[in-house]
Amino acid sequence: MKTLMIIINWINAAVLAGTPLLLATNGEILTEKSGNLNLGVEGQMYMGAVTGLAAAWLTERWFGVGGIIPLIAAVVFAFLMGCISGLIYSVLTVTLRANQNVTGLTLAIFGTGFGQFFGEVLSNEAGGYVTVGAETKHVFGNINFGSLTEIPVIGTLFFRYNWLVYFAIIVAVILGWFLNKTRKGLSLRAVGESPATADSAGINVTRYKYIATTIGGGLCGLAGMYMSMVNQKGIWVTNCVSGYGWLAIALVIFSTWSPLRAIYSSIIFGGLSVMYMRVPIPGMPMAIYMMFPYIATILVLILTSIRQIKEHAQPASTGLNYYREER
Amino acid sequence: MQHFKKLLVILLCALFVFTVVACGPKDPDKTEPVDPSKSEGPVDPGKITLANIKIGFVHVTDPNDMGYTYNHDLGTQKMAKELGLKDDQIINKFNTSEDQACENALRELAQQGCHIIFATSFGFEPHVIKVAKDYPDIEFCHATGFRAQGAWDEGQKNVHNYFGNIYQARYLSGIAAGLKTKTNKIGYVGAFHFPEVISGFTGFYLGAKSVNPDVTMVVKYTGSWHDPTLEAQLAAALIDEGCDVLGQHCDSTAPATAAEAAGVYHVGYNSDMRGAAPKASLTSAIWDWSRYLIFAVNKFVAGEEIPADWHGGIADGVCDISPLNDDIVAPGTADKIKEARDKIVSGDWDVFTGPLVDITGKVVVAEGETFIEPQSAPSWGYVLEGITVPPEVLEG
Repeated sequence: MKTLMIIINWINAAVLAGTPLLLATNGEILTEKSGNLNLGVEGQMYMGAVTGLAAAWLTERWFGVGGIIPLIAAVVFAFLMGCISGLIYSVLTVTLRANQNVTGLTLAIFGTGFGQFFGEVLSNEAGGYVTVGAETKHVFGNINFGSLTEIPVIGTLFFRYNWLVYFAIIVAVILGWFLNKTRKGLSLRAVGESPATADSAGINVTRYKYIATTIGGGLCGLAGMYMSMVNQKGIWVTNCVSGYGWLAIALVIFSTWSPLRAIYSSIIFGGLSVMYMRVPIPGMPMAIYMMFPYIATILVLILTSIRQIKEHAQPASTGLNYYREER
Repeated sequence: MQHFKKLLVILLCALFVFTVVACGPKDPDKTEPVDPSKSEGPVDPGKITLANIKIGFVHVTDPNDMGYTYNHDLGTQKMAKELGLKDDQIINKFNTSEDQACENALRELAQQGCHIIFATSFGFEPHVIKVAKDYPDIEFCHATGFRAQGAWDEGQKNVHNYFGNIYQARYLSGIAAGLKTKTNKIGYVGAFHFPEVISGFTGFYLGAKSVNPDVTMVVKYTGSWHDPTLEAQLAAALIDEGCDVLGQHCDSTAPATAAEAAGVYHVGYNSDMRGAAPKASLTSAIWDWSRYLIFAVNKFVAGEEIPADWHGGIADGVCDISPLNDDIVAPGTADKIKEARDKIVSGDWDVFTGPLVDITGKVVVAEGETFIEPQSAPSWGYVLEGITVPPEVLEG
């Protein structure tokens, strides 16, 4: 029974650790499906993290309300800030045709600085901790499912999460449906595979790239908001994103560019990353535990390249800018 | 498009002209206001006083961490106020990593004319000793390190270590935890399995045990001084194991907020965390670094030797606990803490007093004896009975 409880609690922790990864991974999958390799996820998450917190905190301050309204403000503004970061990337790579790798890395550095800087500005403004009130903390906490939570095993497995966990899974399902079952999704995939072909078929390549990258950025912004509002419980902590943006990029490969596979791969990834805290294996050094998620990523890379399944490969034009004149 | 380019060129030219004009020499009729402090006759360039001393700091993060660096910077500000230093007499280097960047920062501070330099993170020490060799006239003080005495033995007397008996403050904060726990199981979010951390949690545990003989403690490590995400996840793991009070030796407030969300309690480190988690934070073990900074700077200005190794405890005001969260601490906590505090301040008794038995059953401090740290950096490495640490750290 004790072992079972450890495993159940571990799965619960894995889902919680995997949720920001799932949001950011889906954002990056959407971006890469349009042929944009955005390495700036870490920065986008920082921008979302600080904006979400600032929005919630200022809403509480200005309007004197806690709970659902600061929550909506946090979600909306974190998403918008993520969109802006995606737009910056799009303008630079799609319109000005800057190198995608360099732009992405720059965005990562810029966004990290943006987050830390405005985090400090907020701290100075608050004169100490920037922290939201108890009501707002509560709405970002676990949903109250009443007696459902108390069911043994199932309660912990399915009903002890905050709303963003369910939201992230719904987003993944919608994204999977959009990419695979709709005409626009097909067009987007065409843009990512071969923009020249898509262009001759009458698809507006620029528009698709812009919209996909911008919304993808918005999802990364929400992932960042998860780090500050859920993981840190609505308080600004320096380095709160802790490299999860880079993990999300690895996870895109791990889930082989599929939003639905991203659901379980992010849970596996999250589970492996918290494993050392929960599942003691005698004699296993902590450093080895910490390698697990990355070993898994490398294994997936090797397996997919051995099997050579085209659907599991990176969109062919990822990382390359599209010049219409060079067709 | 052509028009646009022309317009752009014109605009840029205008901007250029404007910049040149703006940067030109100021109106010669205006004279700079005379600074009264500068007009008190020529200062002897060889004589360093509080009015012209320059002090450098190298920190591993910035005060925004609301933890270690924040606290150390509070000490800097307090020192500046008490000694009447001006802002331009203090140069801070924040967010310096524990590698070549530290060496560069130290050299920059030396070239900027600092007379005394404080480096505040453990990993800075080898760089401090290396750079100090090149600047024999500058004093280098390093917090938490242990190599200064060795350097002195080799004739390099401008390096110094400083730290404090934080285990005493930990002991007091442990009392609050020991009285509060219902499950008799305390969790501890540690950074590394390393004497500074072990000494801290041992003090914390002994404090809890002094008021609650049945208490046990589980320690887990994040493997980082500052990783808020891991700290939050680790805190959640400890709570899932049944711990209902958490202690911490890591930099962020994540364990406090995680405890609050789960409805359990928390004892902090480095800063008063009641603001971050009003329903969970009982108290914190905190530092007052200004004690040493003032001591060292005064010694320097007086031309006296700063000792190779310095430490102070609660009696010296170097460390203490932050105000208790009266709404949630267990009844009687304040009295118990005062009792223990008086005992420590009196100097007759200290935290590591025997009999103390480690997890293998060996008596590490015999009855009637007291373990006293031989130098400022903690060297206590025994894991006592009742404390669980990850098994793999014991094998290495």
